[in-house]
Amino acid sequence: MNRSLIISSGLHVALIILTALSLPFLAKKPIDLPPIISVELIQITEKTNIPFAPKAKKIIEKVKEKEKQLVSEQAPPKKIEKTKTKTVVSLDQNNETIDNQTPEAVPLPEKTVKQIKTKEEKKQNPEKVDEEVKQVSEFEKKELFDPNSIAALIDKSKQDTTDLKTPKNLVSQDQEKNIENSNLSLSEEDALKAQIFGCWSIPLGLPYDENLLVRIKLKLKPDGSVIDSEILDHARMNKPGQGFYKVLAESALRAIKLCQPLRVPSTGYERWKDLQLNFDAREMLEG
Amino acid sequence: MKLSKIFKNTILVLIACLALTACATKKTATSLGGQIQGDVYTGTDSVEYLADGVPDRVFFATNESILTTASRETLRKQAAWLRKNSDVNVVLEGHADERGTREYNLALGERRANAAKDYLMTYGISSDRISVLSYGKERPVDSGSNPLAWSKNRRSVTVKAN
Amino acid sequence: MKKFFILIILFLLPVNSYALIEVDITRGNLNPLPVAVSPLSIDENSKKQFKDILDKEDVGAEISNVVENNLRTSGLFNPLNKDAFLQAPDIANLKPRFEDWNLIKAQALITGKVNFEDGKLRVEFRLWDVLAAKEMMALAFTTVPTNWRRVGHIISDKVYERLTGEKGYFDTRIIYVAEEGPKVKRIKKLAIMDQDGENNKFLTLGNELVLTPRFNPTSQMVTYLSYFKNLPRVYLLDIETGTQEVVGDFPGMTFAPRFSPDGKKIIMSFAKDGKSDIYTMDLENRIVEKITNHPSIDTSPSYSPDGKYIAFNSDRSGYQQIYVMESDGSNVKRISFGNGLYGTPVWSPRGDLIAFTKLHQGQFYIGVMRTDGSGERLLTENYYQEAPSWSPNGRVLIFYRETKSDDDGEGFSAKLWSIDLTGYNERQVKTPTDASDPSWSSLLSN
Repeated sequence: MNRSLIISSGLHVALIILTALSLPFLAKKPIDLPPIISVELIQITEKTNIPFAPKAKKIIEKVKEKEKQLVSEQAPPKKIEKTKTKTVVSLDQNNETIDNQTPEAVPLPEKTVKQIKTKEEKKQNPEKVDEEVKQVSEFEKKELFDPNSIAALIDKSKQDTTDLKTPKNLVSQDQEKNIENSNLSLSEEDALKAQIFGCWSIPLGLPYDENLLVRIKLKLKPDGSVIDSEILDHARMNKPGQGFYKVLAESALRAIKLCQPLRVPSTGYERWKDLQLNFDAREMLEG
Repeated sequence: MKLSKIFKNTILVLIACLALTACATKKTATSLGGQIQGDVYTGTDSVEYLADGVPDRVFFATNESILTTASRETLRKQAAWLRKNSDVNVVLEGHADERGTREYNLALGERRANAAKDYLMTYGISSDRISVLSYGKERPVDSGSNPLAWSKNRRSVTVKAN
Repeated sequence: MKKFFILIILFLLPVNSYALIEVDITRGNLNPLPVAVSPLSIDENSKKQFKDILDKEDVGAEISNVVENNLRTSGLFNPLNKDAFLQAPDIANLKPRFEDWNLIKAQALITGKVNFEDGKLRVEFRLWDVLAAKEMMALAFTTVPTNWRRVGHIISDKVYERLTGEKGYFDTRIIYVAEEGPKVKRIKKLAIMDQDGENNKFLTLGNELVLTPRFNPTSQMVTYLSYFKNLPRVYLLDIETGTQEVVGDFPGMTFAPRFSPDGKKIIMSFAKDGKSDIYTMDLENRIVEKITNHPSIDTSPSYSPDGKYIAFNSDRSGYQQIYVMESDGSNVKRISFGNGLYGTPVWSPRGDLIAFTKLHQGQFYIGVMRTDGSGERLLTENYYQEAPSWSPNGRVLIFYRETKSDDDGEGFSAKLWSIDLTGYNERQVKTPTDASDPSWSSLLSN
């Protein structure tokens, strides 16, 4: 009994010394996170506020300034939080800055993070946040240094939508398209997504590691009902060995039918009368 | 600044450690009336006798087939009795407790009975007189679901074959 | 020149119009698909004929009940309440009014017709996509009337496959050990039943202890362990004829038998002198091969579906772990490395996973891992459960659970349970008595 007591107390003392010395190091880590999130927010602001190329130039310049501010304010954590709320609020209010609106700001960061997550998945890259940040800044660099190329970029994307014959590269192209052309604001997009999430019954039996992306192009009426739907990659429906694709596509079509009328924005019919829904079951099935 | 921080941490950790300290005890034996020692049943509740003073069974620890000192003592008595009654043949029935998978327990029962058989053979009993039969966990002697019952079931029983 | 300007304008215009908006839908719900199973329509004459033969009031309704029950227990479908159905079965089978079915929120509809034809049972069924308002599938089956349950199971399999993309598992049977009596003197009999718990039959009388029965994947044969004459040995049982024969001529206990995927060999353990090794015996030429040779306990062997590998349970590292080796016994590799003891490895018919039992800190777990040991996932935890067996589509696991008994040995029960690979839909499989050691057959209709 005595021996075990001595050994036990000896080990305890050793443990105490170890943890006492190491604790200060552990405490430092959390501080690193906030700067990453705030950079991503800037990315989204830009995206949802580019109706025309000329206006975009102005906005990009504004963003450029804001980014310069952030870069210099990285060290003390408190300051970063302030800029975070500022940029978040600007999403809501179309670049008007209003102070003291932290309660509203709270839910939005989650949404933006979600948005980023879906982009990450489409890239089919590992989910390192660092990589995302790099991508974002690369994109920003492009815009910042050559705002006039936005017109060229928009043209390019128009060509992409008509070109349906290169399925393999489309995943990364889709991501570009999303950043450049999605003209639904975040809240509009989230409303539509939330509606369809409820309608889409995903068949559980699908293999995890196959390409589980079904893209459906819709023509909509102003009230959100569907005039016409078209499955891109239609040829896959009847390919032998791709039976699960047919099942998945049918479940997506059922979801669309079930959800009519779709929750479309109340204005800007010209923007969204042609809508493409990309049903990707991978996130649900990999869990 | 750093020193006081370390000091605070030490106090915190010290309190946490004290809260978590446990001392080694020998609870199992005392709380079950001294019938289990080192996870092996040492009682006599379920023991039957081949003859006066010759217990018919030996017990084992969980997942083990090692013979304890007490088991070897029992087997020596059995060997002596078998030498005296040279026309008796025996079947050693090996058993396991219910806390394991069925097929593995069949093999474990066989291993336990064999351990007993090997020991009897070292005392001159011919292997022709001893056969081995495993029942795995199928024939417990105690149907309870507690450590004491399980320890009684981990056994090798010597049964007269003729 | 004018044309040139017009062309330029046409090119410029698209720049100012809107690009195609894309929205990513990455989440949905995992709710069971609402499906309406209409009772199969049947004319009065056929109805009467089947009542005489089968003693069933309405075999059309009975078959649809089998389908409804199968779809519900799979956990992937939600069969809607029949009372809400607006269309009569015979009309629905001809041309369903999809708006009616839409009203009750059905997304798929099953209708059909039953006929008595020349002494045979003819069943026709159709699967409709209610939302798309079109027919998805139409098939007809003819068989002897007593096979009406199997028709229900085959319809269920077809519907399941069409809607989930996976092969079904409903036209299958389960063989298991039926148990009765006190723990110290349990009476055990071999029993076989349909996967939905119906048609239960006992195959042995209970005079000797029987354990771990397994199906031959290609024929109506079963292998199991019997203590006939107090000698535990592996036996073969022909379900159709009832004949039993001992496998091989081993001078000691053989146990833990399984068939090879082609049904031609039996693989099992043979215990001698305190160690157990794995052996195979060819059923045709009766040649016996020794596969493992180690002083440890090697047991619970299970072939991969291509017959090239064997997963087994060994304590050569000191404690029960799972190993994989080639079918000739070479290249033995350990694949289980978590905390605890691992046993009863079973290779999935899809070849991608190995299911197992794990014992850790006094609790039993049923889990799966990839064939290299990675991706270990525990599906369910219990006081005592073990011996998972795969459905033929590699999707559902059936296993058994025992409850704790009190100090007098009362309150003990053993029951069969099943769970989906995703960890959902854990449910008890009904049996007339207590049950253990379940094994799933392959699809009866091939």
